[in-house]
Amino acid sequence: MNRVIQSNLLRIATAFLLLQSIILTLAPAVKMRSLEADLRFSHWIALFVWGLLSFLIHRAIIKYLPDADPYLFPSAALLSGWGLLAIWRLDASNIGPRQALWFVVSLLILLLGLRLSSQLVFLRRYKYVLLAGALALVGLTLFFGTNPIGIGPKLWFGCCGLYFQPSEPLKLLLVAYLAAFLADRLALGGRMLATIMPAFIISNLAVLLLLFQRDLGTALIFMALYTIIIYLATGRRRAILVSVGFLALFGIAGYYFIGIVQARIDSWLHPWDDPVSGSYQIIQSLLAIANGGIEGRGSGLGSPGLIPVAGSDFIYAVIAEETGLFGTMGLLALFILIIGRGFRAALRAPDLFRRLFAAGITSYFGIQALLIVGGNIRLLPLTGVTLPFVSYGGSSLLVSYIGLLFLLHISNHLDEEPAPLQDHQPYLMVGGALMLGLFTAALTTGWWSVVRGPDLLTRVDNPRRMIEGQFVRRGALLDRSDTIITTTVGKIGELERSYKYPDLAPVIGYNHAKYGQAGLEASLDEYLRGLKGTSATSIWWNHLLYGMSPPGLDVRLTIDLYLQFRADEMMLGHSGAVVMMNAQTGEILVMSSHPTFNPNYLNEIGLNLASDPDQPLINRAAQGLYPTGSVVDPFAAALFGRQALTAEELSTLHESMGFLRPPQIQLQVAESLSRDELDHFHVSPLQMALASAALSNHGVIPAPNIASAVSVPVEGWVILPVPGTPAVAMQATPADEASSLFVEEGDNFWSHLGKASEGDTSATWFLAGTPGNWQGTPFVVVVLIEEDNERIAERIGRELIMDAMSP
Amino acid sequence: MIATVVLVLRFALSIALYVFLGWALWTLWRELDQQGKALADQKKPRISLRYKPEWGNDRVLSFQQTEIIIGRHAQCDVSLMDETLSAQHARITYHHRQWWLEDLNSTNGTSLNEHPLTTPTVIISDDEFKCGNVAFVIRIDTEETTSTQ
Repeated sequence: MNRVIQSNLLRIATAFLLLQSIILTLAPAVKMRSLEADLRFSHWIALFVWGLLSFLIHRAIIKYLPDADPYLFPSAALLSGWGLLAIWRLDASNIGPRQALWFVVSLLILLLGLRLSSQLVFLRRYKYVLLAGALALVGLTLFFGTNPIGIGPKLWFGCCGLYFQPSEPLKLLLVAYLAAFLADRLALGGRMLATIMPAFIISNLAVLLLLFQRDLGTALIFMALYTIIIYLATGRRRAILVSVGFLALFGIAGYYFIGIVQARIDSWLHPWDDPVSGSYQIIQSLLAIANGGIEGRGSGLGSPGLIPVAGSDFIYAVIAEETGLFGTMGLLALFILIIGRGFRAALRAPDLFRRLFAAGITSYFGIQALLIVGGNIRLLPLTGVTLPFVSYGGSSLLVSYIGLLFLLHISNHLDEEPAPLQDHQPYLMVGGALMLGLFTAALTTGWWSVVRGPDLLTRVDNPRRMIEGQFVRRGALLDRSDTIITTTVGKIGELERSYKYPDLAPVIGYNHAKYGQAGLEASLDEYLRGLKGTSATSIWWNHLLYGMSPPGLDVRLTIDLYLQFRADEMMLGHSGAVVMMNAQTGEILVMSSHPTFNPNYLNEIGLNLASDPDQPLINRAAQGLYPTGSVVDPFAAALFGRQALTAEELSTLHESMGFLRPPQIQLQVAESLSRDELDHFHVSPLQMALASAALSNHGVIPAPNIASAVSVPVEGWVILPVPGTPAVAMQATPADEASSLFVEEGDNFWSHLGKASEGDTSATWFLAGTPGNWQGTPFVVVVLIEEDNERIAERIGRELIMDAMSP
Repeated sequence: MIATVVLVLRFALSIALYVFLGWALWTLWRELDQQGKALADQKKPRISLRYKPEWGNDRVLSFQQTEIIIGRHAQCDVSLMDETLSAQHARITYHHRQWWLEDLNSTNGTSLNEHPLTTPTVIISDDEFKCGNVAFVIRIDTEETTSTQ
């Protein structure tokens, strides 16, 4: 029966890994959306090695340990095969083959160990020698230790490119020592405290050594294992209470005296406070889990490589991203199965040593899994321990398999009667607590991937959004006659944004991996990424297949590129803004802000832009606020019939002309000033243009609009809603009359030049617009120059309005 | 197209994982089921103890359970007010398909067929044992010993 169960489980595990490998091979084709992609094949070596060795071990178990537990090896083999493929997928050139090599070494040692049956006696007899040896080795790392990645605690011995961490076998030896010691001593009777004292001293020595080395995760595991074994052996709950007390004490002391403990606890409690440095890892881990969702992105289709040290500490997040909640629940269930079978083997063990040893090994697997999975999902503070059987790390894999070897041996003595057991409660409690912990981990993973997932993924520091930009075409921005302003170029995988008309940068903004989004690129992002305007089914299907948003939609702007070009040409060398709009519809034809920048070179110039004293990132037309001065004369004439106003009348004017509220438009605009700030009242050129439009539009301020339509699949161009509503500023007749007052000799449009200064900065305004009786399309133009220069302001304004009126 | 194929494979992958767990659970459940049946079918030979109290006739006690504790304490299965008995004096248990007698560190000791008892010992029908001064005769009904294992 055992043989059948074990071989069937291994067959299913093989099928699982085979499917995983096929998906991994095809992943590049899915990403590139064509079979022309470079398919991945190298991981099949890992699968082959896994299959061969698993088969050999299966045969050896059947032959040498026919009564051994048939669930233990297949579960462990499935876990490490899964881990091996995940690690290979992260890095096929370095850590993948390394882990495969360690896997071979581990399974060969397992194969050898299955033939020998006296290791347990050996361990029990030489417990002091072995433990002292391991402690000495760990001690030696203080002097000769190294770290494979060059920085961080030096916990490894390295030679010839291979590294070994002596604290890993120390865990197993500590368990063996404690089990042997307690099995010998408890049989003798005597006072409990005196009995456990030597073990207490030795364990604390080990913990101190690890604390000294800053290997806090391992120290924590030691304390936990020590507590559990004492509790199992004595059945005293006090052991747990004392240990938890110590842990709290150590934790609090560590928080105040050890920098790394403080950093870990802070980034656990308040990860969102510091997402770029302290909590970077944990947030990236949560983002990966969120991206996995329920069904996972598929092997090779997520971006788990974004998490630092993904292979060892964050392998759980890697698996969560690519196999989703389905996968992680299964993974945790495998650990629960191993814990259940391990404790069963412990309870059935024929003597106390083997019972404690089996329970200790199982607890070691359980605690370590719980600590690191909990750390990955922010259930517990992050401790840099490995996930047994799964994580990258040779020493950990080897020791996990040696632990498994002992469990297999212990579980093989079914014909012997189990040793008498005074109290089974502690075994039930420890096993149950570990299983409950893993169950909680599954629930928490579900919380991040399903409940919080969608929110998390919209975070701007989610690098997946920018990766998506390389694989999914972002919509283009077109001018009113469909000339391209900004588009996406390149082939899939290397798509990038190309700004064909860079002078519009302060208005259009940018979409950049490092600097994020600004301007229309930010405000129209949902259309440009196809998340608005595309059917819900299509969005869902694209997400399911590719884990990405659907192809982006093109947006047509109201900008007239010809007029825009004319404005920019004339503004060259001056600081200021030009706004030109259709006075009736509020469509913005020109929005120019100078100085500007070239977003195509954001990589090179990005850092300097923010600190540039000329502030090229500011869209002066909508975000700049300038003193008004005499520029309000035409509005005064229209509202009050004269130009000299009292303070109260001026305040009424500000209100009527819409200067007190920010315009509603698909752009970031400056907050308007309140009516109390009369002495240094400021408005933006956009507000001024809207007010001017009232004179050309029979007293009505139109609702401004810069994005007119979006090109959706099937239906084609669909008109975008205008965010604001028109407002009546004055009666039609006084508006028409006032505008005719400002028509100069020989002109067919009204115009007004105004100046204002404040301190040593001065602003020159020029307003112009079609008169009330104009039969064609009504236009207004507002020019603002940040200098005392009437000539240039007037020239720009006149040329533009004349161009617009005579197409 | 290729993405749809991979999507199907991805679901097959999840299914494979749960088939593994499902198969494991199914075999575990079957093992549990069989063990339960085996235990239910297994009939232990009925044991009864005959002893002579200070006054009156011999008394025969029959038991259903697999563990019988003899002593002076009120919670013992055979609770007798005899000063030569310890609170928990001796234990009779059924395991390894045998009934066993074991002394529980009693003050006055237990003897089986006139020999002092030091280790747990297999007992058969018509064996006699004494706890302190109280003598018992064992009767095991072998007819009911049917094993279906």
